[in-house]
This record gives sequence, structure tokens and C-alpha cells, in this order.
Amino acid sequence: MPDYSELKTQADEQWKQLVAGDRPWIRVGTGLCGQASGALDVLDAISVESERLEVDITLDEVGCLGMCYAEPLVDVQLPGGSRLFFKNVSPDDVPSIIENYAGKGELRALEPFGYLGDTPIAGVTDIMTLPMMQLQERIALRNAGNIAPDDIYQYIANDGYAGINKALFGMKPEDVIKDMIDSGLRGRGGAGFPTGVKWSFMVRSPGPPKYILCNCEEGDPGAYNDKGILEGDPHTLLEGMLLAGYATGATKGFVFIRHGHDGPIDRTQRAIEQAYEMGLLGEKILGSDFSFDIEISLTGDSYVAGEETALMDSIEGKRAMPRFKPPFPAAFGVWGKPSTVNNVKSLSYAPQIISRGGAWFKSIGAEKCTGTAIICLNGNVKYPGMYEVPMGMEMGRVIDEIGGGVPDGKEFKLLQLGGPLGHILGPDILPVGLDFDAMKGVGAMLGSGGVIISNEDTCAVDLARVLVAFCQYESCGKCFPCRLGMTNLLEFVERIASYNGRPGDLEMIDRVGSTMAAGSLCFHGQLGVNPIKSAIQNFPEDFRVHLEEGRCPTGSCDRPVLVPRNTRAYAEDFQPGMVPLTVG
Amino acid sequence: MADDVKLTIDGKEVTATPGTNVLQASMDAGLYIPYLCYYPGMKAFGACRMCVVEFEEGGPPGQQASCTIPVADGMVVNTKSEDTTELRKGIMDLLISEHPHGCLNCHRIDLCGPADICLRHVSVNDRCVTCPKNERCELKDTVRYMEMDLDTTLTYNNRHIPLKVKDPMWEMDMNLCIVCARCVRVCDEVRGDGALAFTDRSGRSLIGTSNGTSLLESGCEFCGACIDVCPTGALVERDHKWDKAVKKITSICTHCPVGCQMTLEVDKRNRLIRAIPDRHAAANQGQACFKGKFGLEFVNSKDRLRKSLIKTDGELAETTAIAALDHAAERLSQYKGDQFALLASPRGTNEDNYIAQKFARTVMGTNNVDVWSNTRPELMPPLEEMLEAQAATNPIWDLEGAKCFLVVSSNVTEEQNVVAVPIKKAVRNGASLIVIDPRETELTRYATRWLRPVPGSETALIGGMLRVIVDESLGDHDFLGDRCEDTKLLRDSLWQFDLLKVSALTSIPQAEIQEAARLLAASNPCAFIYALETLEPEQRDSCVRAIINLALITGNVGRPSTGLYPLQNGANIQGSRDIGCVPDLLPGYRAVYDDDARAQLETAWGNSLPSTPGLSVREIAPAIQDGRVKALLLVGDSPGFTSHELGDLVEAAKNLEFLVVLGTFPGELTDLADVVIPTTTFAEKDGTYTNLERRVQRLRPALGPKGDEDTEWRIISQIAKRLDAKGFDHQDSSTVFNEITEAFGSYGGITFDRLESGGLQWPCLATDMEDTPILFAEEGNDYRAKLVKMELVDTSSHNDAEYPYLLAKGRVLHQSDRPMEISVLGKRNQIQRDEIVEIHADDAATIGVKAGEWVEVVSERERQRAVVSLSSPHPGLIATTALFGNLASELDASKEPDPMATVEGLPLVPVRVEKMDAEAAD
Repeated sequence: MPDYSELKTQADEQWKQLVAGDRPWIRVGTGLCGQASGALDVLDAISVESERLEVDITLDEVGCLGMCYAEPLVDVQLPGGSRLFFKNVSPDDVPSIIENYAGKGELRALEPFGYLGDTPIAGVTDIMTLPMMQLQERIALRNAGNIAPDDIYQYIANDGYAGINKALFGMKPEDVIKDMIDSGLRGRGGAGFPTGVKWSFMVRSPGPPKYILCNCEEGDPGAYNDKGILEGDPHTLLEGMLLAGYATGATKGFVFIRHGHDGPIDRTQRAIEQAYEMGLLGEKILGSDFSFDIEISLTGDSYVAGEETALMDSIEGKRAMPRFKPPFPAAFGVWGKPSTVNNVKSLSYAPQIISRGGAWFKSIGAEKCTGTAIICLNGNVKYPGMYEVPMGMEMGRVIDEIGGGVPDGKEFKLLQLGGPLGHILGPDILPVGLDFDAMKGVGAMLGSGGVIISNEDTCAVDLARVLVAFCQYESCGKCFPCRLGMTNLLEFVERIASYNGRPGDLEMIDRVGSTMAAGSLCFHGQLGVNPIKSAIQNFPEDFRVHLEEGRCPTGSCDRPVLVPRNTRAYAEDFQPGMVPLTVG
Repeated sequence: MADDVKLTIDGKEVTATPGTNVLQASMDAGLYIPYLCYYPGMKAFGACRMCVVEFEEGGPPGQQASCTIPVADGMVVNTKSEDTTELRKGIMDLLISEHPHGCLNCHRIDLCGPADICLRHVSVNDRCVTCPKNERCELKDTVRYMEMDLDTTLTYNNRHIPLKVKDPMWEMDMNLCIVCARCVRVCDEVRGDGALAFTDRSGRSLIGTSNGTSLLESGCEFCGACIDVCPTGALVERDHKWDKAVKKITSICTHCPVGCQMTLEVDKRNRLIRAIPDRHAAANQGQACFKGKFGLEFVNSKDRLRKSLIKTDGELAETTAIAALDHAAERLSQYKGDQFALLASPRGTNEDNYIAQKFARTVMGTNNVDVWSNTRPELMPPLEEMLEAQAATNPIWDLEGAKCFLVVSSNVTEEQNVVAVPIKKAVRNGASLIVIDPRETELTRYATRWLRPVPGSETALIGGMLRVIVDESLGDHDFLGDRCEDTKLLRDSLWQFDLLKVSALTSIPQAEIQEAARLLAASNPCAFIYALETLEPEQRDSCVRAIINLALITGNVGRPSTGLYPLQNGANIQGSRDIGCVPDLLPGYRAVYDDDARAQLETAWGNSLPSTPGLSVREIAPAIQDGRVKALLLVGDSPGFTSHELGDLVEAAKNLEFLVVLGTFPGELTDLADVVIPTTTFAEKDGTYTNLERRVQRLRPALGPKGDEDTEWRIISQIAKRLDAKGFDHQDSSTVFNEITEAFGSYGGITFDRLESGGLQWPCLATDMEDTPILFAEEGNDYRAKLVKMELVDTSSHNDAEYPYLLAKGRVLHQSDRPMEISVLGKRNQIQRDEIVEIHADDAATIGVKAGEWVEVVSERERQRAVVSLSSPHPGLIATTALFGNLASELDASKEPDPMATVEGLPLVPVRVEKMDAEAAD
């Protein structure tokens, strides 16, 4: 079994070849955002063109660098020099890139939009001076877009698996937990519970077996940072899980992903295979006494499967429905054995925290909310993408400076934060920092990082309708308040959106919402009223116009309802639109 | 107890055992909290959120579902705070907006009585009379308890879902379902079947059957547990769906020796309309089976015998009860002695069968008395000889805690269904199960090891396991030393069981025998269940001894969750044997040739007793054929007398000079009778049954008589009195029972009064003593169990030129690996699939068939087409496995008055296999 220093020497050697060898190294972002904008065609074009032009290159697929707006993004590492970035590349641009930057041609048809490295290139911006890069502090995303996720050596060359090596041979499990607690890292799944403390709960539980469950059931519309990590740098997650396992005495980990997300699944699967080959997973890791296995567990299409207890039922092969708590997972988890459920992001911070110490992590971000937030900017913003910024940064700064503000001269109207169970918020949120507590203070929640920005053309009723429909569709159907409450809420908001609202509807929404909030079994039902309630609170005018004037202030409610209509259990031939035969 | 938890609920001090949830603790203390998804005895689910409470101290903040919170010391619980009540009402508003609730808000509600019919006031789909559970509905009770105003502005939505009525025995109305999932959970958690499941999600969630649309394909055992737990009218029994009960009586089911306590519901027309297993009953703990739940309709049958009949000029004619009794007595007086025989019914109470045997012995002077289900008497005597008493050693629900089971040739799921419930539950919780059976039964699907020996070599196989345990010193040496004797006798006889020989005889590989033995020896506690249905009578005794040896050598007797469970057939077979309704035993298991015992009874009964053992049920038919028996008194409910174990009694009865039938239905045997006297069924009887775990339980009459029918002991007493016999003057069944307690000391402490609060397990020697759940328990028992020597005999000699193979017919609930279709034939769903016959490759070569070809399996009684699979474990044995769903369909469609009594067991049948040509197969 190789020890870590051997691996590291090998990896450094290979890395040197890549960045300062005799040929250019081209990296193409083929994450979900890249693929959606045609990166696979670009990738093909590059390999075809380089062959045709007889240019010798190294070509790698990488994850998303975060600048999703720039996809397809092509990154050319000049041998021994800087990296040049080309944005929104189409296959037609490829010959020019190959000829000019990889080959020896003189044609400069396509301009790079930035460079990265020590060697400035005349006429090209250093991308680190762009606000969206300058304001970032990349920890969990440090390798995303920079290394090929398929190549474990590239990860090791960038200090990968140094954390677990340090822990295994220099730290006791309790030291690891202490570092994690010292770091102040709070769970990034949305609840913000200190990760180190969570780990410490399971230490006392009897085992083996004990399980580390990584939750990548990232179902929030507009959130893709978990998948972004798995696509860009799956090994950082594996290393984080190893650290969690070592610290808590667990011997097995599950990465829990929705089926169909083939990119993240395949890349994680390959990473697991490579880690086994290198002796970084399995029996006696790196020659220590610590053994740990990881496998991927796929779930069906269910948002609620991301709830930690439903996730455990799903891993067990059951219908994903939340269990009641207590007992908590640390005592009674998957198959009744002690388990710890962590979000991908929380686990991905661990390698750097252990390598560099808890105090280093604590020095970043806000006082009670340390480290960085990985924000997915979506909607009416100039530069949508995935950005890792220090906690505490004001929301307005993120939107304006990183996201470039609302484009096309339109006005900012609202912001949707915290996922579909989160809130629809007005401009009041802009001065608030990215901080679990500060957000809670103003009645919002940070959630897992998805932010949707809307301009003046968006109607709050319409957005609320879409979110309520999502929550209704995704209710598991177990507890009565959520199953029936969400259905009724959806019917209320659809009625209002189609100008058939009745007096008293808003009061009924409030009453049903209170029942759900107080009575539901899990967060899905407890928080399910948030979008509609916050929309009514923050945009009362939109609702008034619908109810009283029978029109939509922006006109967006006029379009047909796209949400699934079959919200209740009806007979197959029964049309829900039909007037019920009976009125109780 | 010192460990008890003290908490305060609504100002009342409550004590509860740790681990109880707050809801259950509250109910146990008589404080009601509304709930819909919780069900006592099942795990909390936490879905309905009706049981929310607030904790003023010692609990989590906010509104918490009390079913999910375990009790803790010092908790102060408020179940009625304003917020809580509001929340409950909020949830109920949502719930009834999806549930037809005309029964709650119709303006005539105050004028309306429980069984009134109203056609006017509520719209068509929504009337209270369109709900089969009107006034039995927990949802309605809960709304009423909550005193709701029902003024919500939520829109009411009827689902308009067609009813599912195509499956046997049950109906499903998803318009009434509140998705509490009790049915799904009871099917999974308690019954281990998982035949029901959630469908879809969110507002569309409902309940459906697993694997498709019909229960037939879902692994359902038609136990009805889902119906029993359903709080609304969503799941109901088809029979008497709309009938309302006016009377509820707790009694005991009459189908098998488990003795399930049921609440029998009777309508105003004196019909038994429903049976609901009793949740608090020790024997069945709220469970029943397809027979008990859906098979009691026979008591209402129009075909019941209601009048006495006398044969004059070859024709049976109605007569008065007195005339029939006079005639019977007069004729019987001519057949005293061994030319008379009496066959009692296993459905007879202890009182019935006690009087029957007393009549045969004292009045008729013969020991020719037996119970017609006593076809495997060999299962019992070794238990007394080697251990303590001729009965199961432990309670049925003790099985739940066992870590290993050995089940030998027992189709438990069909014959003694509820016994399988704790076994399946334990196996799902990690216990091991070793099944020795050539047939594929439901339990083989759960088996850790399924051993299919050559039929008849079971004893050799168990001997082989004993040999492994002795050789590898895996036995419980302390137990053998302290509690047993004659260990050496067994040990020294095991030299014969050389594993090579055993393996050759049983055709089970040596390694498998070793592994099974090691598994059994390593798992503690272990329980042993045997019915020996596929063994020939002469093979059973040695097999029982081998099983008891195995239990003793591994120390699995006398403690909870260990022990031996002999499984016989017939509801009161245990009681009938207890009270001596068998040819060789007097009441209390004293041999008829035991002079002291006879002398004692002769004093008590005031009459002399015969001392030679009488004819057993298996010997009676031949004895009639050859004229040794000339008169027969038969008690029965159309029993299956034609099974091969009994010989053909119908044919034999034609030779009788005089036949009295005491029965409930006309049939082939009543047609042959000279006198027929109608008897009551279990539902009309007062008395006691003793179940297989020695539990004496009380039957109470639910129905009144409609004709001249009477209970057997009264009829026989009347005949006895006409023959000038003394000791037949009992006033009621309790006085008969008192006489039984004098005759059998183990019943000594049992009285009808004590039985009011549940059954008692004998021995219970005095009224101030407790009963005995576990026999051979360690406390104060200095009796030593005896091991016995064993002999290796080659008994596997099926030799029949015409039918050279033995067919092991199996039946299971579900075979997911075999394709099937459900189609609607007539009104009901039916399973359609190609049956498979397992044949050994050697036999297939002899017959000249290949895998996948069609053959016909021919026995004396039937022909069956099937596709060949070369998977039989050994030459000579062929096997088929049917689906329980087929049986359920047949039972549902059966026109028999008591279809459940006609369910044939799964005996081994001699068959031949015929090749079919391709055209015929199509």
C-alpha cells in the first residue's frame, strides 16, 4: 500500500507536466451548466480540431468554475504560463482557439475574456480583478473548474487527502472533532447546526456499524452547489466523509443522490473507484488502522427524500417518508444504527479545516457564522452562477457586485431565498448579511444557498403559486396537515391567481398555514406555508389587485397554469375542474 | 414497580412503564386523547397529528404528537390547551373536507338513530347510509368528541373513486380513506405480509395493493387485520357489510386450536354478522386468519339442521326432539359394549366432549370414543413421557422472542395461522428459521435454511443434527446435567447416525445438516414447532422423540421463547384430549388400563369402566366394515371424513346397524343416519375450549336457537338419562366444567368466574393459584426430563408401480419470480398463470421430458397440467407450489355451507407423470 508521501510525489510530478509541460492543457467545463449551454459539442470540436490541426494538447473535462453565465467556458493553460479563459464558446470558435493559443498561428479572431496566472497577458483582464472572482473566497469550491474530477492525482497534487493523512497519523478522533467545533462550521443543509457538535453526538453511540450519510438530494429549484461540488471535485467530499468517519467511529458512508443526475453520480462513482484503487478507501486506509467504505445510494424523484429521516428510509429501500424525531439519527439512524447526516458542502469544508486548522476557518466570514456561503444566483441577474463568498457579506453586494445587478435597466423587485420552503422577500433583505442568524432575525432563512432574483415583471402571486405547487407536489403524503394543507393552499393560491379569489381566502391561508406550521411532522409541512405567507406579507398590493381588481399587475398570471393539476386523489375519469356533485 | 415513570396528564398523576408513549399512558390511565393513525400494539407513526399535546414541563416545546413521545419522569402534559384544541380542529377541518361527512352535518342528525334510513336530506354520495361503518367510525367519534362546529369554508371534495369489489372477501372504498396507513402498517409490521402499500404521494396519496391491482397477487393472506384496524369505512368485510350490530359477545373461534378470542357481532335478525379478533386476548393478540375472519358465516346458513329427524321406511322425516331422543336411546340400549363407538367433534366444548366420553364409557361400556380430528395422536404422548405433559410447553406469543425456530412439516400459515404471526415477526427481526418440509409453504419463504428431505426421513435428519451437536459439543451441558437424565442413552444411540448415512437417506448434503445443527445450537432461545403433516403415522412417534431430544440437548425447554409446539387440527383437540375423549386415556391423561385411575373415577361416576383401549378414529371405519362396530354416535359439522387418514367413513357407515348423527348440517352421513339430532354451533354454545397452548377459554352464546338444536352435552345427557344412567343431571355447562375440574386436577383452579377476565393455562391447581404459562419451568421444578435413544431406520420406501412419485403440494402467499396475470372472471378477480412442476433431472430423463415441456401430473383423484422445471431436490419427489390467492378465490366462490372447514391440507400424494404432446398442451 502506498503511503501518502509517495502518492503526493507522483501527483506533483503529473501536475507539473500538466501546467508546465510541453503542451497546452485545455480544460472544458462540462458541469450541468456547461452541458446545458453546449459544452459537450465544444469538447468534441476541440478534440477533432486539435487532431486535424495536428496540435498536441491535453484535454480534460472539469466541473463548473462558478461563472455559469460564461459557459461553455474553455480554459487554456499555456505551457509554463498563464491560463486563458474563453467564454460562451461555440464549436465554431474552436479552430481559432486551437490555432492561436494552443498552436502557433497568428490569427486572433477570438478574444479571451480573462487570464489567470503570474504572467500577465497584454490586453487581457486578470480574472482575479473581476468582482465576481475578487469577492470570492473559494474553500469548498477551491478545485472546482481547476482540476479534472476524474483524476485523483490532480486532487492530490492540490493538497488533496492531506487532511485525512494529517488526521490519521497525527490526530485523535476527538482532535478532529475539536477542530471542527473550533472552526464554527455550521451545517450548510439549511438548518445551520454546528457540524462538529453533530459529529460529537455520534461518538458516544454504540457501534459498529455507524454510518455517515452525505445528503446530496439537492431538490431546491435554483440550487446546484452540492451537485457543483460533486461534478467539480468529488474527492473533496470523499475526504470529508473519511474525516467524519474517522472522527465519529463510523465505518461506512453513503452518498445519497437523486437518480438521473448522471454527471455528479458518474463522477462521484469514478472518484470512489479511484480512491479504492489508491487505498484511500476500504481496509486500513493509507496503512492506518482506520477502514471506511463509501457507496452511492440513489433515490427516486422525491424532494422530501432530502429530509434526513426520510433519506434514511429511502436508503433502507422504503418509501421516503420522514420519521418522527426523537429518536434522532445519531441514536437510531439507517437500519436503526447510529448515523450522521451531513450536507455535501458541510463535508467538503472538512478537509481544508483539518489541513489548515479550525482557527483559520473561523477567521473567515461572520462571527457566529464562520466560513463561506456558496450562493447560486439565478433569475434576473446579469451574471448567474455559483459563487463562494465569505459569510456575512450583504445580500445586496452579492447581487450587485458579483451578479452584476438586474440587467436590461429593469428594477429589482423581489428575491426568493431558502428554497421552495423559503420566503419571497422584498428589497428589505438587501442590506442583510449572509448569516443564518441575521436572516432569521428578519424572518428569512438562508437555506442551502439558492437565490432567485426577480425584476419588476414578476408577480408575487405567480411566483408564490409556482412554489406552493412545488411544495404540494413534493409532499410525501404521510402527515395529515401537510398532505391536506398544501393541497388546500395550492387551491387557494391558484384561485387567487386566476382572479377567482374569494373574500376570506387570505385568512384561510393563514389558518391552514398555522395548522401546518404547528402540526406537521417534518419541516416540509412546517415551512410549507412560508412562500405564500411571505408573499402576502411583503407584496400585499399584488394580492389586493388580484382579489379586488381581478387582474394581475404584471400580467404574468394571465398565462395558463403550468403546474400539475392533479393535486388530489380523484377517480381516473373524474375531472378536478368539474363542479363536485355534492357539497357537504 | 420501582422503575415506573410518574407523570401528570391534565392534572392527574399517571404511572407508566418506561418506553410507553404519552398517548398510550394516557389511555391506560383512562384519559382520552383523540387519535387516528395510532393503533394500540403497533409502533407509533405520527401522521395524523390529532394526538397533539403540550408539555408544561419535562417535554419538548410546542405541539407534539403524544404517540411519538416516550414518557419521562416529571412530565406535565396538557392535552386540552386552547392551542392544542385549535390545532386539532384545524387538522380535522382539512380532513373532513376530503371525507364524506353527511353523517355529521346533516340537519336531521339529532332526529336520526343508529340504524335509521333516510333517503332525503343529504346528497346522494354522501349519506350516512352509504357508509358501511356508520356509527362504527372512529373519525366520526373523534369529530363528535371534539365538539366541532363544522363551519369551515374549505371546499369539500369527493374523490369519486369506484369501489374495489373484485377481490375475495373484502371491499375497499377509497372515498372514505383518510390515509392513516394503519392497514399498511399492520400488514407489514404485525403480519409481515406487506400486501398493502401507499400509492402516489402528496394530496394524491392513497392506499393500494402491492404489485398491482388485486390482493390476489400481492401476498395477502386474507387475515382481515387491515379491516380490523381501519378507522373508517374504507376497508370492510363483504359479507354483512351494511348490517348493524345490536349485540356483541366475546367468544372463541372454532376453526383451529389457536383459540382466537373474537368479538362476535349479532344483528337484530339473530345473525352473526362480523367477528373481530380481540386485541387484549392472550392467545391471538388482536389477530385472526382467513378462516376466523371470513369463515364463520356457516352459523347463519339456511341449510342448518333445525329439527330432529328419524328414518322410517328408508326416509328421514321430521319429528320432535323427544321422539328422536327416545328412539335413539331405545336403539342404543341394544348396542352396549364394544359394538358401539362414539366420534365426537373437535368443535365440541370441553363440556360436550367430557359428557360424550363419560356416556361412552359409563353408559355404553366402551372406550371406543375419539374426536374425529384426532388423526395425529402420536404428536402428544412423548411430551409427557420425556417432559411433563401432553401439550405445548409455552404460550404462542412467546415465539415472538425466539432467536431460532425449527419447524418440521407444518403448514402453519394455513392450519394454525396465528402461530405463524409471531414467527414471521421474529424472523423479520433477525431470528433464524429452519424448516424441514418437502413442501414449499409460506414459512419456507422466510426460512434461513429450508431442508427438503426424502419424505419419511425427517427423523434421520434430526438425528443427524443431534449427532453434529453431540460431536461438536454444542449442547447445553448445564441444562443436561441439572434438568435431564438418560443423556447417555441418547448419546450412545447416536453412533448409528453417521452423517454419510444420514445424508444418503435424507438426500440432504452433509454440510447442510451440519450448518443447520450449528445454527440451531448457536441461537438461543429456540422454539420447536411440529405438525408432521407429511409423515406416515408410524413415522411420527420417533420423529417427535427426536425433536424433543433436540430441544433438550440444546437446553431449549422451560424458559420463555423456547419449547415445543405440537400442532394438531381441530379447535378443541387439546381440550378433548385433556378430558379423555380419546380411546386410550381417561380424563387427566390416565390410561384406561390404570386400575387406580379407573377405580377413582368409578367411585366418582358411580359406574364401572372398561379397561381395554378402544378404537381410535383411524380404526373405526375398518371396524365398521368388518362388523365389529355396529352402532355409531357421531357428532359433526359435515366433517371431511373422506380424507385418507380416516378411511372412507361414508362408505363404512352403510354397514352400520344404527347411526345417530348429532350435527349442524345435512350431509352424506346424515343421509345414512337413523336418527339425526340438530346441534348448536360454537356461536350458540356456552362452555370452554382449551387451545394448543393449554389455555382454557370461555365460549359465550352469541346467537339464540332457531329450532330444536341443542348443545351436544345436553343431548347426550338426555339419551343417557333415558338409559337410566346417573351423573347426567347437570344444570348448565359450568356444573359440567366443575365436574371436569374434579376429574382432571390441572383444571382444578379454573372456574367460569375466573375465565371471565381471560383464559387460564393449565396446570392451575387451585382457585387461589396462578396458571402456568410455561411448562417445565425452572422454578421449584425438580422433575427431570428424560432423553430417549434413537434408531436410524430407513423408512423412505414409497413403492407404487402405478403412482411411482410422491407429489409434495405446496402453497405460498406470493411468488414474485413467477409471472402471473389477474383477470376478471365473473364478478371476481382470478389469478391466471402457468403452474410449474419440479421434477428431478433423473426422473425427467426416465419420463422423457425436458425442462419447459408440459406434463400432466396424475393422482387417484385429480389431474394437473404443469410446466416441467428440473429443480426437485431428489429423485422420487416432485413438487408443485400453488398460490394462496387461488385458494382464497375458491373459498370465496364456494357454495359449501362451511367452506373453511373444507380446506384440504397439503398431504403428500402418490402420482405419476404423463407426457403431453405439444398439440394437447396448446
